[in-house]
Amino acid sequence: MDERKLKQLFAAARRAPAPAPAGDFAAQVLGAIHREPPALTARALSIFESLNAWFPRLALTAAAVIVLCVAADCGLTAAGLPGLGDSAAQAASQCLFDPEEL
Amino acid sequence: MNEDAELLQHIRAGATDEFAELVRRHQARVFGVLHRYERDPQRVEDLAQETFLKAWRALDSFDSRAPFEHWLVRIAVRTALDHLRREKRRRNEIALPDLGEDVLDWLRSPDEKDEPAARDAAEVLHQALRQLSPADRVVITMQELEGCRVKEIAATLGVSGVAVRVRAVRARARLRHILESLARAETP
Repeated sequence: MDERKLKQLFAAARRAPAPAPAGDFAAQVLGAIHREPPALTARALSIFESLNAWFPRLALTAAAVIVLCVAADCGLTAAGLPGLGDSAAQAASQCLFDPEEL
Repeated sequence: MNEDAELLQHIRAGATDEFAELVRRHQARVFGVLHRYERDPQRVEDLAQETFLKAWRALDSFDSRAPFEHWLVRIAVRTALDHLRREKRRRNEIALPDLGEDVLDWLRSPDEKDEPAARDAAEVLHQALRQLSPADRVVITMQELEGCRVKEIAATLGVSGVAVRVRAVRARARLRHILESLARAETP
């Protein structure tokens, strides 16, 4: 059998009609879904699953905040202004305690 | 947002019964895909139901980046593959049905110009494809009858594109050989 005949056979077979679904097929599927055990239809996530789902987003946010702080600190230092570390120390000494005393 | 995505949002929010509308939208496509692997209409219906149930159970894993129908068709093909693997175990118990004389004449003829009738072609191809391994059959069916690209077939079977190409070439050669044997065997 050559390639041309094989292609003809495939082309003819592609046109073969598929059986039509029964009129109530969707209702049958829905009935089967309603018979499913409840554990499969609605299951509460455990705390570990929730943390696992949130981990990539939390890690990315934390990394973005760190990068922003480092960039801001570098920018402020380059501009001759007090860096974020200095500002934090100043705020701490005014509001909470004097870091020099530690 | 497309209509399927909107419906999926409602279903995920608890409107379970709206899944029936999703079934109605895609049932013809699912039946069409499954019919490539199984000729018995009753079994096609059973497999379609199994496909939609699997889709329901895995609905949370559908991320809406690809069209819902693509995802559903992939589930249908995997369901068909499981079915073919189960069938393979009892392959020898099933007798070959009588194939039409017209399609056998067409197979024997070295220079036939016209295509055979669609139903006859599908039947003879089905008989030949049954003799391939389930994975080879899925590759040939998806490539030649569904018009899928290598990338889609690879994703469905969970193998590399190279593996699909190698398998397709080997399966095609084997299919040609089977069709030749089928034509010879039926000669009175």
